Amino acid sequence: MSDVKMLGLTIDGRTVHAAEGTNVLKAAELAGISIPHFCYHPAIEAEGNCRMCLVEIEGLPKLDLACSTIVREGMIVRTSTPAVLQARKDVLEFLLAEHPLDCPICDKAGECKLQEYYERHGLFPGRFVEAKEKKDKKVAIGKGLLLDRERCILCTRCVRFLRKVTGTGELGVFDRGVRAEIGIYDGAPVDNNYSGNLVDICPVGAITDTDFRFRTRAWFLKKGPTVCPLCSRGCAVVVESVTGYPLGKDERKVFRIRAGENPAVNGAWICDLGRAGRRDIDERRHMRVMNNAAPEEELSWQRALADVTARIRAVPGPARSARIAVVLNSRLTCEELALAKRLFDDRLGLNKIFFADPKPGAADGFLLTEERMPNARGVFQSGFLPILPDLDTLAAAEVVLVFGSHLLEYFSEEAISRALAGTPSKFLFSAHAGPLDRSAEIVFPVAVPAEKSGTYINIDGLRQSFGRAVEPSPGVVPELDIFMSLANGLGLNRGEPDAC
Amino acid sequence: MIEDAVRLIPADDSSWRLEAYLRRGGYEAARKAVTSMVPQDVIAEVRRAGLRGRGGAGFPAGLKWSFVPQGGTAPKYLCVNADEGEPGTFKDRAILVRNPHQLLEGLIIAAFGVGIGQAFIYVRGEYASIAGRLEEALAEACAKGFLGRGIFGSDFNLEVVVHFGAGAYICGEETALLESVEGRRGQPRLKPPFPAVVGLFRSPTVINNVETLSNIPSIIGRGADWFIARGLPKDGGTRIFGVSGAVRRPGLYELPVGTPLRAIIETHAGGPPDGLAIKAVVPGGLSAPVLRPDELDVPMDFDSLARAGSMLGSAGVIVIGDRTPILDVLEVMARFYAHESCGQCTPCRLGTSWIHKIVSRMAAGKGQRGDLDLILDLASGMRGRTLCPMGDAAAMPIHAIISKFRNELERTVVP
Repeated sequence: MSDVKMLGLTIDGRTVHAAEGTNVLKAAELAGISIPHFCYHPAIEAEGNCRMCLVEIEGLPKLDLACSTIVREGMIVRTSTPAVLQARKDVLEFLLAEHPLDCPICDKAGECKLQEYYERHGLFPGRFVEAKEKKDKKVAIGKGLLLDRERCILCTRCVRFLRKVTGTGELGVFDRGVRAEIGIYDGAPVDNNYSGNLVDICPVGAITDTDFRFRTRAWFLKKGPTVCPLCSRGCAVVVESVTGYPLGKDERKVFRIRAGENPAVNGAWICDLGRAGRRDIDERRHMRVMNNAAPEEELSWQRALADVTARIRAVPGPARSARIAVVLNSRLTCEELALAKRLFDDRLGLNKIFFADPKPGAADGFLLTEERMPNARGVFQSGFLPILPDLDTLAAAEVVLVFGSHLLEYFSEEAISRALAGTPSKFLFSAHAGPLDRSAEIVFPVAVPAEKSGTYINIDGLRQSFGRAVEPSPGVVPELDIFMSLANGLGLNRGEPDAC
Repeated sequence: MIEDAVRLIPADDSSWRLEAYLRRGGYEAARKAVTSMVPQDVIAEVRRAGLRGRGGAGFPAGLKWSFVPQGGTAPKYLCVNADEGEPGTFKDRAILVRNPHQLLEGLIIAAFGVGIGQAFIYVRGEYASIAGRLEEALAEACAKGFLGRGIFGSDFNLEVVVHFGAGAYICGEETALLESVEGRRGQPRLKPPFPAVVGLFRSPTVINNVETLSNIPSIIGRGADWFIARGLPKDGGTRIFGVSGAVRRPGLYELPVGTPLRAIIETHAGGPPDGLAIKAVVPGGLSAPVLRPDELDVPMDFDSLARAGSMLGSAGVIVIGDRTPILDVLEVMARFYAHESCGQCTPCRLGTSWIHKIVSRMAAGKGQRGDLDLILDLASGMRGRTLCPMGDAAAMPIHAIISKFRNELERTVVP
């Protein structure tokens, strides 16, 4: 930091100190002054096409762009003079002239820059009485994205994102003047793992996602920041969910996952895999404890867990290390892993502690890593060695606790079922319904990471703590509570001597 | 009258050949510069001559050259702007057809002065059919050793490539031209940085108009004083005035900078044909604000026209006769800018099209009270607010037409 030269300037009479190379728009933000803008995005080079951020800079004959003007020592900037306010109004009037004004059916309504700025800087009666340009309103540009060319204000954030950030360049501007429009090149739709960011950065409702389109309104959504659990990058994400009323069958809780900002990890982008993690939170979820022997029976997780505790207690101390097996996973938080370590290793002295994790996938060279679990480093730091179990070892145990369903990535359902056929006590702790459920005696519905708070350590060793991003589904329980409950039941939590 | 040897557009149609150009003393100035001058002196001489850019903006050419950083290892480029797109302008076309060697000689001198080894001549697509002579001249000059490696036995090398545009007005704007040469969609770049520092392929670049460069050989060959004497001290030399519209003898007239507009129209172009009177004159290409008949006693130089509220621009003089409805003029103007706006920035893209829609409605007899004031408002919303000068180029003439011919327009709009 000490190498960065700080420059002093005045914006609307306030003294601001900004690092050399900062643009006027950012410097104004430091002073708490927001300058409206459509085309500028902090993570993409300025192009200056929307003309919304024009401000007065002393010594210059004309208004100049706040987005592309770099601060100088002693610069005097004014952002709310009559000329600036008029220029903003004029830009809004131009944009709204040809805009379809279909806010009532537009997904962006409520979080649209054009709406927001009209409220704040416009509020003029319309003077456009000519016929509006007719343009395509549902252009499939690839990966479930739809482009509405009438809503588009040609800020070209999407075009520049694909050129500068992903380098894939699928979108371009075609034709010119008022007929200019965004489009894909012949037969080459948007096809990269970061396509969802186009929806995030579109300042209006021009690019929408069929997964979100027409499902809800932006103002109903509660935004919960968390860390993406789907690979070891640990990108900041925002989970947007509805709360406040009970959901019907198949109704969504989480409507979308969007990129959060974290300059140290993902900047302002997330991959499509992380975005699709929405389904992980909503779909195929276990909502209640299920005893396979009596599927209809209502069973609280505390009562069911008391049964698990009793089975563990029933195994004599010296025999435990051979007769109890636990399968953990690297989606557990550092806090959960630390407790699991104390419980299963230090106190119960188990030596059959295994891990079953998603198999590696291909890294995409940008954010997505090969490791498809968020906390492999947390596993090591907790003192575990992530070893995959073999089925014979599991079969030899009397009590088997399996956390997660990733065993299925290594063994067939039949093989697992056969191996556990003779096991007297087998418990599954899983967030999602799946084939493994049938092999277990009792299935516990556990929380997904977005429903938990905790800490993950990412691929670069960065330790990131996060809070609960969405209300847990009714009936689910975080693994932390399970471990604590087991520890309590086994009398291990207070450092008491072995209760068994 | 200007003697043939120094005319930018010789009268003789065979003048474009290398032998003819050499007979007129061609390439002697380039030889002089390359073999006996230091580059800084070339720039200094051109600065002293007061040569202002003939493309329209009138920026002093020598000053523009001096902005290019000296030395350095990065390549530097020269782009010749032969994208003559301003309506009413057809002078560069004549140079390309009648005197391409003089352009090439000017280009050699400019490149030598600035330290450039690679030049592009950006010819508008519509001129592809007449560019054969330019390309032949280029081949002749290369064969003679005036271009290529070791020019005039020195260690100065220069390669020239002819590049064709695809028919967009905006590519005459220098940064849009650069984008087009680089193979991208022709639309202007955000400035700064200016092309002299970051231009073609992100390297320092000089962009000069065809007529501008064609004046260089005389400046170096005959000296800045000679050049100034033919025009004005701060605006030297001659201009090729292209006169079109309601005159007896439309055509190109090479005359001293500062020649009064009325003289150009009345004396040289023969004034309006019988039965017609002048209603309005566009003095410097369509983007130059229109002048009324009582405003024609203005000297045709950059500063005088700026004082008169217009601009010399490309010196394309469009004379509008009194039988032409001013609404037709406004309609042509509005249609042109709406058609040619590249669409990149908001005020130009939507302002030009909105104005055109209003004017079309007016032309269809459906004008409303308030239309003219709305157009004026929209024009001020564009003026000084766009990414490139085209916003002004569209807003200024439209503003002028309405303010100067409001009565006639109001009669048309509300009968």
